[in-house]
Amino acid sequence: MSTLQTQLKVTGLVKRFAGKTVLDGVDLSLAAGEVLCILGPNGAGKTTLISAILGLIGADGGEIELLGQSQKGTARSMALRQQCGVMMQIGSLSANLTVAEQCDLFSCYYQSGYSAKELVGLAGLESHANARFGRLSGGQKQRLLFALALAGKPKLVFLDEPTLGMDVEARRSLWQQIRQLKQQGVAVVLTTHYLEEAEQLADRVMVLHQGQFIASGSPAELKALTRYKLVQCCTALSDEALLALPGVLQLSREQGGITLHSSHAEQTVLALLTQDNKVSQLEVKQVALEQAFLQLTAPTAEHSNGTKEHAA
Amino acid sequence: MSSLAIYQKEAWYDLISVWRTPGFVLPALAFPVVFYLFFGVLFSPAGSTSHAAYMLVTYSCFGIMGPAMFNFAMNIASDRAQGWLTLKRLSPMPVSAYLLAKMATSLVFAMLIILMLFSVAAIFGDVRLERSQWIGLALLLLAGTIPFAFIGLLLGLTLSDKAAPGVVNLIYLPMAFLSGLWLPVTMLPSFLQQLAWVWPSYHLSQLGLKVVAMDQGQPVLLHLAILGLTTAVLMGLCVLVFRRYTGAK
Repeated sequence: MSTLQTQLKVTGLVKRFAGKTVLDGVDLSLAAGEVLCILGPNGAGKTTLISAILGLIGADGGEIELLGQSQKGTARSMALRQQCGVMMQIGSLSANLTVAEQCDLFSCYYQSGYSAKELVGLAGLESHANARFGRLSGGQKQRLLFALALAGKPKLVFLDEPTLGMDVEARRSLWQQIRQLKQQGVAVVLTTHYLEEAEQLADRVMVLHQGQFIASGSPAELKALTRYKLVQCCTALSDEALLALPGVLQLSREQGGITLHSSHAEQTVLALLTQDNKVSQLEVKQVALEQAFLQLTAPTAEHSNGTKEHAA
Repeated sequence: MSSLAIYQKEAWYDLISVWRTPGFVLPALAFPVVFYLFFGVLFSPAGSTSHAAYMLVTYSCFGIMGPAMFNFAMNIASDRAQGWLTLKRLSPMPVSAYLLAKMATSLVFAMLIILMLFSVAAIFGDVRLERSQWIGLALLLLAGTIPFAFIGLLLGLTLSDKAAPGVVNLIYLPMAFLSGLWLPVTMLPSFLQQLAWVWPSYHLSQLGLKVVAMDQGQPVLLHLAILGLTTAVLMGLCVLVFRRYTGAK
């Protein structure tokens, strides 16, 4: 990574709204060809972070470096805007212009970008080229906005919830396009609610919570961070006996079976089988990123480690 | 692409987009013409040759104010609400291209309204003016859209897309009435006549009436100064609001 050019560097970014600290000393850096996924619940500050980086809002502290240039205030040079592509969450185009017209307009903004026709192709909307924006489906609108974000063949792309409102097929095809961007050496910042998206695309996942990054790593590292696995089975053992097993953090019962959250799944299983040799339907599962993420951002996250609570 | 191309395309697509909004185009073009036909031509006092010419000036002012205020206020408020303006601000499009495009659209509408009203006046109202008067009046009216464009811009930058149309009407219609665009200003109650000079539309209409020698006799420079000052104040406010909007403070 270190040999690749750093395209985005944020240091100690602070943003306050009416006395409330929304970004509280955020650091991040992103290299060419890297996909960074920012996860976080609503209100975590994801959109605020992107807006501050892009100069849509002023920051109250910290430094922002875009494509090697240090940024002051909210002004972003034309040369920089030529090389950045953005897809914001609330992005609606003029409802009265057609797909082809929007692409024509956006392609003329960039000195060395895609032609209008190529943009229509990138959006995969050749068959809707003459449809007005207002008549497109939610997914088609997102595809057009994605294509427009690439209009200038950018080096750095910001995608705020890009697959919102897309069906599974459209989402997969957009993922493919994001992978292509990565291969072309484009640096991508992606925020999403779809954790599968982060697992599929991200080189690095950063979890934003109450204005701070509380975790950062590859999707696999982030999963490991949560340190526990799920042990599921049907057993005759009592709640007390199950909670007393080594490594068990939590217990829940549903439909005759039980689920144990264990920090040491192997030892838990060994002890379980020793105490009850009639255990059936035993499964040990990796925690999905979604659960890992929920655990990290849950208000009780700091306390759940080590305490044995009964969750029925 | 040259930056000239950006200005051209931005203006062209702004015009197309507005043109495809019947709810804007029909009232903007039809109201001034219909009003003028009724109050300027059909209900002309018997034997009056000047009434149609007087009303031509005032209804033309009324006509060009509308599209300038509505186009800026409503479309900028909705572009802001929908995030379209955000996307454009992040793109390498100069803000001036966006604003000039809106101005160009307002001027195209102003031109159409002027052409229609002048035709109605000449054909049905028997208004006879020198060629220099027609041209002078048209140029004055086109230039006269500028202060109203700034009123629209100020409203578009501050109001929500839902509130914008209502607030524009609340300013546009009373201002037109109070500055004597519907009825000659001399027919208004005297305290309203005294107040008329605060409205930019009063000064624009007086300048227009000067072209046909029917104004109230104040000096041209006074009208120009007040219009210029109003425009400068509005422009300053727009810059302040825009700075706040873009976070530059």
